[in-house]
Parts: sequence; structure tokens; C-alpha cells
Amino acid sequence: MSVDALARHAETTRSRSSDWSYWRGWSSLAKWAGLILLFLIYFPLAWLALMSVSERPLSGVPLPLTLEHYQALFNDTRWVGPFEASLVLALLVGIVCAAVATLVGRALPSIRRPGTALLLCVLPLFVPGMSMGAALFIVFRAMLGVKLGFSTIFLGHFIWAFPFALLIILVLTTRFDHRLVEASADLGASRWQTFWRIEFPLLRPGIIGAGLFGFLLSFNEVLRTIFLRGTETTMPIYNWTMAASQQSRVPIIFALATIVLVITLPLLGGAFWLLYARMDKG
Amino acid sequence: MIKVIGLANASTTPATSRWTAAVSSDTWIVPTFLVVWCAFVVLPLLVLFAYSFFDTRFYATVYRPSFTTWISIFQSGRLEVALRTVRIALAVTAIDLVIAFPFALWLAKGSASKGTKAIVIALLTIPFFLDLSSRTIIWRAIFDQHGTINTTLLDLHIIQAPLSWMLYTEWSVHFGLIIASFPTMVLPIYLALSIIDDSLLQASADLGATPAQTLVRVIIPLAMPGIMAGVLLTLGPVLAAWVEPAMLGGGFVNLLSNSVESAYTSLRYPVVAALSTFVILLLAALLVILLLVARRFGDALSTFRVMRS
Repeated sequence: MSVDALARHAETTRSRSSDWSYWRGWSSLAKWAGLILLFLIYFPLAWLALMSVSERPLSGVPLPLTLEHYQALFNDTRWVGPFEASLVLALLVGIVCAAVATLVGRALPSIRRPGTALLLCVLPLFVPGMSMGAALFIVFRAMLGVKLGFSTIFLGHFIWAFPFALLIILVLTTRFDHRLVEASADLGASRWQTFWRIEFPLLRPGIIGAGLFGFLLSFNEVLRTIFLRGTETTMPIYNWTMAASQQSRVPIIFALATIVLVITLPLLGGAFWLLYARMDKG
Repeated sequence: MIKVIGLANASTTPATSRWTAAVSSDTWIVPTFLVVWCAFVVLPLLVLFAYSFFDTRFYATVYRPSFTTWISIFQSGRLEVALRTVRIALAVTAIDLVIAFPFALWLAKGSASKGTKAIVIALLTIPFFLDLSSRTIIWRAIFDQHGTINTTLLDLHIIQAPLSWMLYTEWSVHFGLIIASFPTMVLPIYLALSIIDDSLLQASADLGATPAQTLVRVIIPLAMPGIMAGVLLTLGPVLAAWVEPAMLGGGFVNLLSNSVESAYTSLRYPVVAALSTFVILLLAALLVILLLVARRFGDALSTFRVMRS
């Protein structure tokens, strides 16, 4: 029974009550306040895409339209390096996240104290990115004297993305019917065969979801990268420095961000479709 | 083989002891992983804390424990920055909570259909994966003196001179932060609300409680873990917000992140450590306060027990 139905029910049972909390409008007020904020989250994305084809993107008026920023973007090659670095990093983080989360996620539900272990694993979710980045920076740079670069960024991104990946895998492994594995063993399959032919196909939506989340979280990470990058530059860092320092470069950033959005939004849609399709079945 | 899967999938009895025996050869995985994980996550946080007790002289770190750095972060104008950061973070978190809780309640227990729920949850999750700086910088083009809003209002002759309070002020920083952290507030509260048994709400109404009484005495106590998670997950990133104050504050609204950045570029690593630790300690203090508040609303532990059953 919904809250609305509940409110109506209560209203009929105590019809003489004139309490303010019976007002029907509360529900729609709650709904519209939230939807307005949702709109404010997505409106900038649409406006960004529109402004990327505007002649004067900082003027506030989208017209007249032009494609010159995209042309400038493709004539200018400075963003290619950071873009490639981000792509490679994100791919690595996605693959490693999916693999490690699968390994740990399979074993975690059957250990003695899964709660404590899980809490340790999701700890980075509660530590602000700035603090985690600074902590890793001090250990690597100030304490150990490691040269910062690709590998330290990778580590920072992995620590950020792993909790998400693990939680996604756990959704499936905690509901996994372990008698399947047993049946497979009874029928003479080796452990490896059991994994590939029974467990992997059943866990596949989670594994793909974990990989996708890892990819996207890494691809857009800023705070940890600022501390751990050394001289390496990733896409978000490039966007960030360009946007922060040079006003004249902003139109190109709009075009670049639009292209990235056009690539990532369908990927995200796919990830969610996979997750929900799977959850509805389970 | 497919037939076997289909049959076994249909029923859901708990794992047998034979399964536990079968995976016993895998038991090394989690402990090994946890050791490595602690070395890269917990240890750095401890080092961060330890480092905040060192000091910097002539661009070099002095490895002698002292409170110099901690004292210095509460002097030289940094106290003002710290207080401003805490004030803005609390305001943003409070506003988000006020909008997010009713919205989550509508989403979980209101008239939303299953499809609507799925779409709204997806829309709330997607922003986590989008580049924050390009999402934030576009507000500049909207709020600027020559931006969308000012141009529109001037053309409609509603205002005579462009409004200047919209950008590079605390208002725009609040605005950017409220929007960016809204999803982290809604999602945990939604999860906590959606597992509340509807029969409890029904019982409360049957026993003559008004909707307000049901909300305060039944729904809020049961949703407390979600509310706490939402507040913590929102406040942490806002306290350490880096992108929004820089892009929408434009150097006029300095927050802790600006202090960290300037300390970082001037190689004063103990200051970086102390400020980062300060953020974590603030969060921990808030967790303790929230637990105490939750106890007033009803034993927090019993709430967790209700959630499990």
C-alpha cells in the first residue's frame, strides 16, 4: 500500500480530523522538488551540447550555430594524448576491477566474518577523494619516493572504483545457488570447467557491470588524479586545467565534453539495462 | 547441463556444508586481498594522520613530531576558511536532506510505478560517472554577467543592469554543490525506505496515527541508517569539494580544497596532511553526533536488527 493510499485510508477512518499532515499536496510537493533537482542535474548536459555548436558559447545565447569549435578541436591535437591516457587507464581499471571483484566477491560470502571484510573493502567510499589522494601521495612521493605517473594514477583509480565493482558482484554472488556448483562437480566437471560453464555465465551481468563502472569511474576521476599524476595528464585533468586557466579554450572543452558525453551516456544506459534486466529476472 | 541449471535455479535453499567444503581451497583469496588492500588504503590514511604532526622548514619536511602544523591551520586566515567550509557544507547537506528525504519517500512508498522508479534511480546514478568539471563550468555560461539568464532578463526588460550576484559568490557555490551532491543523498535514503514493510505503515494508520505521527515515529526511525549514510556520503565530498568552488567561486569563495591546493603547490606536505585529516576527523565527529541523535530516535542497533530480519 502506498503512502497516498495510506493517507486516504487514514482520512476516511478519522474524517473529522483536520490535521495539516493529511494534506494531499505533500506527496506532489516532494515529487516535484526532487524532479526539479534532477532537471538541474541534466539541464547542463543538454545546454553543454547546445553551446558546443554555438558561435559565442560564453555569451549565453546559443544562436548563431556553427561547427567551428569541432573543427578547432580536430585541428588541435593537444587533447589526444590525455584522451588516450584516460582511455588506457580506464580500460585497465575496468578489467582489473572486474577480475579482482569477481575473485573476492565469489569468496567473500563464505568467509567467517563477511561484514567486517566488506566494511574494509568499501571504506574508500567514505573517504573524500581529496583526503585519499593526499594520503596516497604522501606515502608514494614523500615517504617512498616513487616516481608518480601512470601506475600511481591507476592505483588511486582502482581503490576508488573497486568498492563499486565489489558491491555489484556481491548482488549476484550472495544470491548464487551453490548447489549448481555441487551438481556440476557431481556430473564430473573439473573446477575450472565449473567456473567457466556454470558460474561465469551466471555472474556475467555483474562482471560486465563491474567492469563498466570501473571504466567510467576511472575515466572521469579528478581529485585523486590531481595528487597522483606527476607529469601525466588525463582527460578530466586536461579539461580542468583548460577550463580553469584559459577562457579562450573553453569552447573547445565544450565540444570535447559533448563528444565524451555522446560516448559515455549510451554505455551507462546499457549498463543499467543489463543490471535491471538481470535483477528483474532474479 | 542447461536442464540442471534450470531445476536448481528454481529453488533457493541455503548453501550446504558440502559447498563450504568445496570452496575451502579458495579461502586464501579474501585474507590475501585484505592484507594488500589494507596496505594501500588503511596504511596511507594512518601515514596521512602521522604526517600532520610534522613540520616544514625551507621547503623540506622536518620529521620531528609537534603540533606546529595543527596550530598553523587554525591561524593565518585558515580558520576562517575552515569555518566557511564547514558552514557551507552543513548548509548544502541540510538543504539536500530536506529535498531528498521527501523525494525518496515518494519514490519508495508513493505512487511511482516500477518503471518510473527504475528510470529515476538510473538518472540518479548516472551523474556519478560524468565529468564534473565540464558539467559545472557550463553554469558559468548561464550565470555570467553576459550569460543566458542576464541576457534573457535584460532583453525582456525585467532588469536594467546585469545581476552580478549569480556567479563567483557563495550563492553559486552552494548551488553547484547542492546539485552535484543530491544523488548521494537520495540513494541511501531510498534504499532504507524501500525495505520498510508496508504493513507497519498500515498498522500505524489503523491504530489512529496521523501521517505526521507515522512519519516521525515509524518511518524516520526505520530509515535512520539510510539517512546517516546519506548525510555522511554527502558531507564528505562537499567538505573536500574541489571543482565547484574553483569553477563557480572563481577565487572569491575559498574553501579547504583551495588551502590544500596552495599548500600542495608550495610543497608543504604536512599542511596537506593536516587539512585532509581535518576533513576525515570532521566526518568522524559527525558520525558520532548522528549516532547519538539516532539513539534518541530509537536504538540505532535495533534499527539495524529490523533491517536484517
